[in-house]
Amino acid sequence: MMKSLFSAELLKIVKQSKTYYALGAIILIELLILLIAYYQGSTVLDLLLESLKQSFYFEGSLLNGNLIMYIVLNSLWFNVPLILMIITSGFLTDEYKDGTLQSVMLQAVKKKQFILVKYAMAILFTILVITFMMLTTFAFAYAIFGKGDLIVYINTLNFFESGDAFRRICFSFISGAIAMIFYNVTSMTLAILIKDSSKTWLVSALFLVITNLLLKVDFGNASFNNLFFPKLIDTWQQLFVYELDWTRIIGNNFLLILYSLLMVLIGTYIFNKKDIG
Amino acid sequence: MIRVIFVLFFLWLVKPIFGQEIDTDLLTIKKRMDAVQQFSATVIFDLDVPFIRMPTKSAKITYSKGEKMGFSSTDFVMLPKRGLDFSMSEIFKYPFITVDRGTEKRKGLLLKVVNVIPTDKRSDLAMATLYMDVQAKRIVESEINTRKDGSYILLMSYASNKDILPNYVETTFAIERLKIPFNFMGKDTKIDRKKMRAMETKTGKIKMQIKDYRIKQH
Repeated sequence: MMKSLFSAELLKIVKQSKTYYALGAIILIELLILLIAYYQGSTVLDLLLESLKQSFYFEGSLLNGNLIMYIVLNSLWFNVPLILMIITSGFLTDEYKDGTLQSVMLQAVKKKQFILVKYAMAILFTILVITFMMLTTFAFAYAIFGKGDLIVYINTLNFFESGDAFRRICFSFISGAIAMIFYNVTSMTLAILIKDSSKTWLVSALFLVITNLLLKVDFGNASFNNLFFPKLIDTWQQLFVYELDWTRIIGNNFLLILYSLLMVLIGTYIFNKKDIG
Repeated sequence: MIRVIFVLFFLWLVKPIFGQEIDTDLLTIKKRMDAVQQFSATVIFDLDVPFIRMPTKSAKITYSKGEKMGFSSTDFVMLPKRGLDFSMSEIFKYPFITVDRGTEKRKGLLLKVVNVIPTDKRSDLAMATLYMDVQAKRIVESEINTRKDGSYILLMSYASNKDILPNYVETTFAIERLKIPFNFMGKDTKIDRKKMRAMETKTGKIKMQIKDYRIKQH
């Protein structure tokens, strides 16, 4: 039963035009960010290296695909979840709106199984979109700007060799994908609670904004600062600290996965208890 | 007779001031270095600056007498503006005088210390203190004070007793703190103003291993 539900949901995603609008929007955002990153990149480099110019000669270019990728990474994690949350919450709100949910429930489909498949689709869709995004941004950035050393300022001015930079960027996409999964699973839970699509979008956007605002707040308590979910969202930045703290990186991502599972559990419980309609 | 002795004694006293003789040991070293017409080598750099983290880098350097040091690398490298002048050509570029500063012991070696002061205004060098290994006829340490690029210290080690060019150089220099644009800082970056102020000027070091020398001498 789960398998056929899964295939049906997958078919819906492939068939619906919204999926392609989302992918188109992501490519458009990527191109715009690449363009901005190019101009921002040269200014950033001038400012970063200004004080070092007195003591050093520089050989080789730092305005390359890796720097562009890093600037892109900084800009992606607000715009992309917004689009993804709208699409994934739509997986359920559209069913409420079109009344198809009642028809599905008239079949021999368990509510729990149905909603778990919806969550699985939200996760799969997120992974597919992030993979697509990663491949296209790498292709654009490397084709236009080439490879080279990456310069990043996180407490110290860190230089990474091209191969190392590539690995760190790949890992940060994985970490970013986990954060995206958390957002999308949350938007699905919100869809279960709210049912109405536009209201769900609004609350999801609000959730995204509040999480981003809380990310910058220092709560004074070290353990709260380390465990509260908004603080885990930008774990990908930790991958650009010179000496990698894998315990913190893996720990943070594991916590985010736990938060996502908690959202799934809450959503499944509510959906199971609620009447359809 | 007493008058003659007095005049001779006075002349002996003021000789270091007006004589402006160049230290003969330095001249011997200079002659050895002048013989180096060209050289190329591979340099492996390790940057040791408190606020910069960089992996070990390597570059090819090329030197031709009378020209600036050239360098090339397949990836990004930061090379110190001063400190690559192993041949000391910048110091000896314009006429100079020397002042004997006696001797000092470093790592079991008795070194002769001289101050080199250029007499030509075109020179960017304000003063250099050179520590010479007279027996091996080479410079082991130098403290360079420039008019434009600040001061720096060079420590040099050599592979064998007969080498004139070093196989290891450590350059110590003063470096201003970084002025970082805030929009480029990672979100997790905490700004410690006290720490930043304390870091206004720091000492940086660059350690260089030089290998695969190809020297052309005349």
